[in-house]
Amino acid sequence: MPQRNRKQRGVNRRKGHQMNEKTISEDTGFQVLPSEGQLQDRNRKQKRVMRATISFVVVILALVILFFAAINIGSLQVSFGELLQGLFVKRIENVATIWDLRFPRIMISMLAGAAIAVSGVLFQAVLKNPLADPGIIGISSGASFAAVLITAFAPSLYFFTPLVAFLGGVVAFFLVYCLSWKGGLSPLRIILTGVAVNALFTGLASAFNSMSGGDMTGVASIVEANITQKTWDDVVTLFPYVAAGLILAVLFIGECNLLTLEDKTARSLGVNVNTTRIVISLVAVLLASIATAIAGAISFLGLIVPHIGRILVGSDHKVLVPFSALAGALTFLLADTLGRTIAAPYEVSAAVIMSVIGGPFFILLLRRSTKYAN
Amino acid sequence: MQTNMTNTMTDQAVSTGQSVQAEGNQKPAMEVRGLSFAYGNNKVLRNISLQIEKGKITTIMGANGCGKSTLFSLMTRNLNPRKGKVLLHGKNIQNMKLMDMAKKVSIVHQYNSAMDDITVEKLVSYGRTPYMKLMATESEEDKRIIDWALEVTNLSKYRDREVGKLSGGQRQRVWIAMALAQNTKILFLDEPTTYLDIRYQIEILELIKKLNREYGITIIMVLHDINQAIHFSDRVIGLSEGKIIVEGSPSEVISTESIQKLYGIKLNVATVEGQKFVLTV
Repeated sequence: MPQRNRKQRGVNRRKGHQMNEKTISEDTGFQVLPSEGQLQDRNRKQKRVMRATISFVVVILALVILFFAAINIGSLQVSFGELLQGLFVKRIENVATIWDLRFPRIMISMLAGAAIAVSGVLFQAVLKNPLADPGIIGISSGASFAAVLITAFAPSLYFFTPLVAFLGGVVAFFLVYCLSWKGGLSPLRIILTGVAVNALFTGLASAFNSMSGGDMTGVASIVEANITQKTWDDVVTLFPYVAAGLILAVLFIGECNLLTLEDKTARSLGVNVNTTRIVISLVAVLLASIATAIAGAISFLGLIVPHIGRILVGSDHKVLVPFSALAGALTFLLADTLGRTIAAPYEVSAAVIMSVIGGPFFILLLRRSTKYAN
Repeated sequence: MQTNMTNTMTDQAVSTGQSVQAEGNQKPAMEVRGLSFAYGNNKVLRNISLQIEKGKITTIMGANGCGKSTLFSLMTRNLNPRKGKVLLHGKNIQNMKLMDMAKKVSIVHQYNSAMDDITVEKLVSYGRTPYMKLMATESEEDKRIIDWALEVTNLSKYRDREVGKLSGGQRQRVWIAMALAQNTKILFLDEPTTYLDIRYQIEILELIKKLNREYGITIIMVLHDINQAIHFSDRVIGLSEGKIIVEGSPSEVISTESIQKLYGIKLNVATVEGQKFVLTV
């Protein structure tokens, strides 16, 4: 009996908190069992942890499998052995071609997908609105318009495209935030204002695309979110910004959680709510804008992935942010790979795939929940 | 240094459960000096001065629109005064860092919301925010105080439950527990009984009383119900049209006349076993 006692306490300690209720009475050795409600709570908690763990494992596995599948989908095909040899041992013509053509777009898909999904999570936290998506509220189109401007009029400044796109995103966010502020932020007003801002910038970007003759591949590729022609240079441009954005997002996980409380409550905990909100917004805009500058404007990705994430791993940003990054990479890569397979040799862009899947999903969310729309 | 001292004092209170009420009643915990506030041209508070005694339960009362919510917001720094100042241990709260203030004063607001799937324990742990360093994990100290906050509010058995599955009364206790986790000597509550059934109203008020009597926490709250205010407060501050009309211990200051001044209605006041009751029907 005493042995069992020790074992039990060991388990409790490992769970990371001392039990407040006396689980075991020291003197008698009798067990005072936790109530049924407590056991149910613990069971549910364990189930949540289990579901989150499985979700992470599945997404990571799926991402690895899809990565290798994507390498090998297309007119050129190589065996796994050939691939490894070509990458690490000797030059194989087919592998070199795949390295130059397919790898960049795969990397860009994953980086942009992770960036957009995490950007969505951050916007949803900052705006207290589960329907906020960098595409829907016009951030991506603001960034894409700015990128189009610089590509069309100052192509020599191509290297600065991400920065300019970031500025475009900031302007769009500023517009949405200010125009929908009316003594507070109503979720619906943000979406409506966002739709208008989105339409404005999308229209402007298309107009400049047409005015520049519509045949400048750089401009068109941003407007149409076409990542066919991407090279390793683009990956190198994109990577540092995405990495920086994701690291910043991880640093602000605690603040994101606190922002889910009422503003006054967060403030009473010592959080400077306004400053926090601005800083996290800038990180979100950064992630969405650079993804847009390289991969084009993608709608609904930043909405769907976090939403599914909340169902699978819960609303705690500590798990939601990393999960969304992984699932975002998976979703974008899946959309891009589908896009170049379903009508081969023609390609459907990932943005189009996301819109076709995302539109109905968005409507479903609006219809299903009374919480979002009032 | 000062913060450390405050901590140690509360820690003693936590560990021994002793009342620390006796010590240092001379200096007020908080002080309001010449406070005025207006929304545009609409003057809500006119030159208010008052002192909050240490270790006491003070209730701000008055009719709708009398300025009590504004006073509460000014004292909790959710509004900035036009004129005058609010002092906490002699220091103007306007000049304090939010984080420092959160270590000295905790606030339970009237409206609260949280993610539905967060556990009670996790939500209460947010109360440790003012003590958290960047990227640091919970220390033993944090855990001990969170456990204490759960225990005092009788939530230990619900620690693993999702907040979305709690009743209204339980949820209100979670918000109080979160404020307690801040380990402050002063606790503000804005109408803590609103939206609750009478049973839970009394439960919450008894809890507040316990926090004051057993742990020496200075309580400042706004209450709507006159009799609850009388019954659970050491001092009441009654406002009307932005001015303090009534101030003092309820047994002394509550009368048919003072109620009429405060609420503009004549109500009988009965005394049963030395306890005053306003007959609100």
